[in-house]
Amino acid sequence: MHRRDVLRGGVAVGVAGLAGCAGLFETESARSRERATTVEDREEEVYHPTHREGATTVGTGGEGRYEVILLYSVPHGFWTVSGSETNLVEIPDDASAHLMATIWDADTETVLPTANVSAEISKDGETVDSRDFWPMLSQNMGYHFGDNIGLDGDGTYTATLDVGAMQARGLGDLAGAFAERTTVEVEFDHERESLGGLAYEEFPDEQGEAAALDPMDADIPVAQVPARDDLPGSVVGTGVSGDADFVAFLPDETPEFVADDRTYLAVSPRTPYNRYPLPFMNLSAILSQSGETVFEGALDAAVSPDFGYHYGVSVESADSALSLRVDAPPQVSRHEGYETAFLDMSAMKLTI
Amino acid sequence: MDDTGRLTRRQFAKAAVAIGGASALSACLDRSGGPDLPQGSDDLAALPDRQHAWNEFLATDDHGNDVAPRHHVLLFLDYASEGSPTDDDRETAESAFESLERAYPRSHDSDGETRVGLVFTVGYSPAYFERFDADLPGSVDLPEPKALASFENPDLDAQDAVVHLASDYPEVVLAAEEALLGDQSELNGVEMAADLSGIFERAERRTGFVGDGLPAENQDVRGVPDSEPISEDAPLYMGFKSGFRKSQATEERVTIQGGPFAGGTTLHASRIRLQLRQWYEQDSRSQRVGKMFCPVHADENLVEGAGDNLGDTALMDEKGCPAHASDDARTKGMVGHSQKSARAREDGSPIILRRDFDSTDDGEAGLHFVALQREISDFVATREAMNGEDLAEESAALGQKNNNGILQYMDVLRRGNFLVPPRDLRTLPEPNPE
Repeated sequence: MHRRDVLRGGVAVGVAGLAGCAGLFETESARSRERATTVEDREEEVYHPTHREGATTVGTGGEGRYEVILLYSVPHGFWTVSGSETNLVEIPDDASAHLMATIWDADTETVLPTANVSAEISKDGETVDSRDFWPMLSQNMGYHFGDNIGLDGDGTYTATLDVGAMQARGLGDLAGAFAERTTVEVEFDHERESLGGLAYEEFPDEQGEAAALDPMDADIPVAQVPARDDLPGSVVGTGVSGDADFVAFLPDETPEFVADDRTYLAVSPRTPYNRYPLPFMNLSAILSQSGETVFEGALDAAVSPDFGYHYGVSVESADSALSLRVDAPPQVSRHEGYETAFLDMSAMKLTI
Repeated sequence: MDDTGRLTRRQFAKAAVAIGGASALSACLDRSGGPDLPQGSDDLAALPDRQHAWNEFLATDDHGNDVAPRHHVLLFLDYASEGSPTDDDRETAESAFESLERAYPRSHDSDGETRVGLVFTVGYSPAYFERFDADLPGSVDLPEPKALASFENPDLDAQDAVVHLASDYPEVVLAAEEALLGDQSELNGVEMAADLSGIFERAERRTGFVGDGLPAENQDVRGVPDSEPISEDAPLYMGFKSGFRKSQATEERVTIQGGPFAGGTTLHASRIRLQLRQWYEQDSRSQRVGKMFCPVHADENLVEGAGDNLGDTALMDEKGCPAHASDDARTKGMVGHSQKSARAREDGSPIILRRDFDSTDDGEAGLHFVALQREISDFVATREAMNGEDLAEESAALGQKNNNGILQYMDVLRRGNFLVPPRDLRTLPEPNPE
């Protein structure tokens, strides 16, 4: 028998074991679990998913100010995004779990939009899986990194996570931090039984409606941005595009890199219902006075301990009519309910 | 395998390269009886001055692209003694290398087709030159290896030397390695006049293959999905052709022009782990084409199969890909690997010559990226262009790896830099020979 066959055999048992646990669920549930969604005729908006999969914390780790929490759930389908195209990712036969990492700052507890997280999963010194996680957006976790992975039966695993530098400008206490990559090791025990026993809930009535799941009820940092009225600054306009809410505002505290005679224009695009920030998008602002364009330029990704992930630019004055143009929609993989929204995003004239 | 579960001769032979050693070789030869090759050269003085002058011995495909030898071994060696090498060692080692040249032809004609017998280069690391009091001349750019992206963390090679052996025959690279190390005294009917035992110790061996069909035959490794997604016409694991004539530097461009090592080149060897489960299971064909080549290649369906339809060019300049990299990053949040790399060209021509090959070392899909360039800084410039950190910097949508070419699927585990001297200085050279 080849080594690979041995592995394959082991993994096959894992899946069978899982299917055994799933005896709790009806056949219909088991079938829907294999699909990313069963909602037909989806609108280009956020919709309530068909089901919710429970997740559990498998371990935590840290290095300097980097804190990592690792969670998993049963494997599930999702969509990768390149440009405005999505690609449905189905669950391979040998997937054992959907592994997710959230990275946050130990000092400010801000969830970090690090550039990338790769994981090498090993058991007894043997690598069983290695890959770069996708940046992802899900209705119960918001922005995180993850993918379906194959494990090799019950036992103790080590996840060696390579965490990239932050791909956004840090403001306030985040200024200058997280400019270097780091490695974090998280050890975890895996039992098929505990994974198979996680909550699984279906929503036959709500599925497909314009709504979203609540953020998961767990003591982990979730990247949620403040409601419009709670933003620490003066709102200069709001808009909607691709079912995302956009709030433009002038923070009370102007970041240090902005010259004294200038203003920091911040734009916070967020998901409806849950106010998760939308990372990895290209956004341009156009300011005009009496029909004349006085500023047109790209906004940079930034993260603030007070108002989270946003896009911002230093401008002479924001005392003008503001339009926003989405040059590229959020390049983040989507879980069910987010895969049709935030893709076709038209320009907006912001209004108060 | 055939239906009895026995490996076919071909499967066995290439598995043997990865395994290595006398037993693998003898098992290989027992099965095949060895390839029927003429002996090598009697007139060693007629061989090219440049060790890296391989192209004239390679077959070309229908489009004029050079076809790389199919089987490769990178033999990393440490000089066995302290301090700087002795003249005795130098003479013995040179005699061993000459024996290889007498044993096998660089190439020969087999049923009307050019096939590579044995080509090889010998290179030396910065660590090797530390053995001497004198420094390398300014005409040689050979810095210590280092990480070449903010997101990589490679181990750095400090072996003294590397021998890159390549052949169209798996048995030949194996036998040459055995003979060099003193484990075999005769090679293709030619007595080895000497070997490297006692002079060099083997520090590491890396093996692999490149060419149509080989990745498909070798896809039962970690890092490739079980669905066997790699097609028969793919020369590399990622499913696409590379080494288009217009994507390769000429041997002249990578040759050192002046100083004592004129006629030599530099070699960068990186060991890269390929993570192709996402590539094949989670990206669409369109995403793969866009990420490997350029978004316009996906939009306009320019690539058929592995890309043989492209002829001798990846259509980078023709489609304005390098010039559009910044725009694509902005408006698509995505850029292609070739598109980025093509930004490192000089007057429209590439500055590195790829001699890379895929690998099953350690049971995982890998790529040994061997590149030749006049100066290591040419490699660094090309790699920086390929990293696209500048593009990710100005485009929030473009990840440092996500949708940024193929960076997401590659993990650089090791990097090493070597000087490949001209042939007459290939054996234990001093840093500043007269």
